[in-house]
Amino acid sequence: MKALTEYIARSLVDHPEDVAVDEIRHSGRVTLELHVAKDDMGRVIGKGGRVANAIRTLLRVAAERDGSQVTLDVVEP
Amino acid sequence: MNERTTLEKIAASVDEAVADGLAELGLPAEAVDVEVLDSGSRGLLGIGGRQARVRLTIKPQPAGPDAGPAAEPLPAAEADDDLLRIARQTVTELLDKMKVPAFVDIRYGSADEEGSRPVLVDIHGDDLGVLIGRRAEILNALQYIVNLIVSKQAGHWVQVTIDVEGYRARRERQLRQMAQRMADQAVKTGHRQSLEPMPANERRLIHIELRDHPDVTTQSVGDEPARKVTIVPK
Repeated sequence: MKALTEYIARSLVDHPEDVAVDEIRHSGRVTLELHVAKDDMGRVIGKGGRVANAIRTLLRVAAERDGSQVTLDVVEP
Repeated sequence: MNERTTLEKIAASVDEAVADGLAELGLPAEAVDVEVLDSGSRGLLGIGGRQARVRLTIKPQPAGPDAGPAAEPLPAAEADDDLLRIARQTVTELLDKMKVPAFVDIRYGSADEEGSRPVLVDIHGDDLGVLIGRRAEILNALQYIVNLIVSKQAGHWVQVTIDVEGYRARRERQLRQMAQRMADQAVKTGHRQSLEPMPANERRLIHIELRDHPDVTTQSVGDEPARKVTIVPK
């Protein structure tokens, strides 16, 4: 899931080198914290959160595969 | 540059194995030599088939910044084939990282009014319901992300349409039939008929289907994602 988030984020931003994802696991729950450069925030969030929500939808597919639940937070730098 | 210089891949066909290998290496087809180790066989009714095996060997790099590893955005697409390659690589990478094994076919659709051709992606394989989801939620999310990534990497807007196991074609037929049925209902009862909420591409189909209907007009009402088509008797 971390790899999926990193791949999508790096492909969308102007500063792929600034993309980092922290993965925090608590039993069946996975929290992903996505860090991007300040001026790339809009690219990974999108209008009305549309991009971030689409990423969350795809993450859910990966999460269901290993029976976990996933949360994605885009973290302000 | 990746320290690995050769990679062996196994997949259902030679083409798939090569595509998988290229996606994993993040390299365009020109950057590798392909050696077919086993061309595989389909088997009877999918039983007893043999997987294809290929070996990709990375060609020595000419000096220069081109053809870096996948994490770097590809250079802007100058040729059409670059576009198809970017689209294939993007979809393959996403499916791989979503842990959904599937095959990917890529081609151009027919040109629209402005002369730009959409890229059509067909995903097929077993048990791909996970890629569609309720009201195609997952399929639409995948298509949206692929559109963004391919357009970003190509340097201009590219329309990519993704279908899974013919889902969109079946859904389109259903929607057209439903549109006609609800239009009949609107005429018969004299009352406007509201359809269920739909994404923009599906609402568009309904509007087009009923555009020339003599007795009804259509409009979209409400806010995303609950926006829906209303069929109004004239």
